[in-house]
Amino acid sequence: MIIKFFFKVILTGSVAFNTIFVKSIPMKPKWIRRIIGGLSFTTALFVFQACYGTPQATGSDVLVHGKVTSQGTNQPIAGIKVSIDGQDQWCTTNQDGSYFLYTEKKPAINIRFDDENAVHNSKDTVVSQVNDEVVVDVILAAR
Amino acid sequence: MLRRVKLNLFQQFRQSEIRLHELNYLFWECTVRCNLNCLHCGSDCTKIASVPDMPLPDFLAALDTIEHKTDNFTIVLTGGEPLLRKDIDNCGFEIRKRGFQWGMVTNGFLYNSEMQNRLLNAGMGALTISLDGLAESHNRLRNNPLSFKKACNAIEKAVTATRLNFDVVTCVNPWNIKELESLYQFLIDRNVKAWRLFTIAPMGRAASNQELFLNSDQFDVLMKFIATKRQLHQNDIKFSCEAYVGKYELKVRDVPFFCRAGINIGSVLIDGSISACPNIDRNFVQGNIYKDNFFDVWQHRFDVFRNRDWNKTGICATCNEYKYCAGNGFHYRECNNPEVMVCRKTKE
Repeated sequence: MIIKFFFKVILTGSVAFNTIFVKSIPMKPKWIRRIIGGLSFTTALFVFQACYGTPQATGSDVLVHGKVTSQGTNQPIAGIKVSIDGQDQWCTTNQDGSYFLYTEKKPAINIRFDDENAVHNSKDTVVSQVNDEVVVDVILAAR
Repeated sequence: MLRRVKLNLFQQFRQSEIRLHELNYLFWECTVRCNLNCLHCGSDCTKIASVPDMPLPDFLAALDTIEHKTDNFTIVLTGGEPLLRKDIDNCGFEIRKRGFQWGMVTNGFLYNSEMQNRLLNAGMGALTISLDGLAESHNRLRNNPLSFKKACNAIEKAVTATRLNFDVVTCVNPWNIKELESLYQFLIDRNVKAWRLFTIAPMGRAASNQELFLNSDQFDVLMKFIATKRQLHQNDIKFSCEAYVGKYELKVRDVPFFCRAGINIGSVLIDGSISACPNIDRNFVQGNIYKDNFFDVWQHRFDVFRNRDWNKTGICATCNEYKYCAGNGFHYRECNNPEVMVCRKTKE
C-alpha cells in the first residue's frame, strides 16, 4: 500500500501526495517519519548533526570497572595500569584501587593489569559476552 | 522533476519531525574561555572570560529532568574551547554514565595522546576538529602560528581511535578557497573519512570582517567542488546544514536542507539559558536551567523554532522556495530584523 503511494507520488508530484497520503493514511507521526524517511532517503535522516556540532556518537562502547587488591595484604592497590589489548587506551587505579574506563564493545575484551612499580605480578583477564557494563575485580600476587 | 518530488516529499518528513519535537541533540556551552583568538569566531571568546565555566552538577541537574531519552541522543560539549576545562573528562564520564552519548568540538590545540586517552576512557563517542586551510591560511584565520601544526597532530591522533565518529570541519573563506583541492588530498592522505565544509557567518567577531565572506561566485565554486568530490566516494564530504542551497540541494549533502534548531536540537548555554544551537541570537532564549525545569521548557516552549511562519518576511516573503528552506538556518536570523542575514539560494 505504502509502496503504491510512493510510486503515485513519483508520477503525480507533491500536491497529490499531500492529499492522498495525509488524508487516507492516518497514523502516528513516528510511523510517518519512518516510512517517509525509509522510502525517500536514508537513515541519515535520523542520524543528523547540527551544522556546527559533532556527528552523532555511535555508542558502541562498554564501561569496564572494578577494583584491584593485593593478595598478600588484601588491601587496594593504587597506581596499577589497566590497559585494553589492541587499543591505545589505559587508565590507572586510584587510591581505593578502583578503576573505570569506557572501551570499544567487542565479543571478547582482553584486559591487562600491570604494576609499574614492579611490586606485584602482571595479570591478563579476558572478558566475554560483553554487555553495557562489566565489573572486573582482580587480585594481584606480590612478586 | 524527480528532485522537486524528493524535496516535496521531504517537507512531509520535516513536518512530522516538527510535530514530534524529539530532543536528540543537546549542546552544552561548558565554557566560553578559549586558547585561540580566531578572526571568524562566532562567539567572540577570550582567554579569560568574565563568565565562569558552568559547574558540572548544574548541567547534570538539567540533564536529569529529561524523562524520555531517545535513541542516538548526543550531547556536544562546546565553547569556547572545551579542553580548557580541567574536569572535561569527568564531565564526559558523568554524562555517559547517565546513558547519553557525548562528543566534542575542538580546535585541537590541546588534543594529544594523553588527552585522547582520558576522553576515550570517559566514553567520548564523537569528535570534530577544525582545520581551516593549509598552514598559512589556517594560522592566519586562527590567529596563531602554531595552530595548524597542533590541529594536524590532533587529527592524526583522532583517526587512530576507531570508536570515534570523527570528522574535520573547514570554514571556507576567500583565503582558503583555492586550497580546497590540496586540503582534500591532505585529509585523504591522513585517512580522514569525513569532511564537512561551511562558510563563515557574519556574527560575533566575524561580523565586522567583510573579507572573510565568500561572494556568490566563490560560493558556486565551493558547491561544485563538494558535488564533484562526493561522486568520487573517497570520503564523506558534505556541506553543513547551515543554509538552503537551491539547485545544489541533494548534490552536496546526504539529505535536503533542514534546520533542526529547536526541533531536535537544544542547548544549555554558559549562563544556564536554554536555547537551540549556541550560535543563534540569544534573544531567542526560551528559559534558564536556574529558574526552569529544562525538559519542561523543551516540551512546552520552543514554538518560535517549530513554527517559523513569522520569518516569512523581507526577501523570504515572496520567495518561491521558502517552503524548502523555511527562512534558512536559524542562526541567520536576528530577533528584531525581518531580513535574513544570508541567503544561499542558487538559481537553476
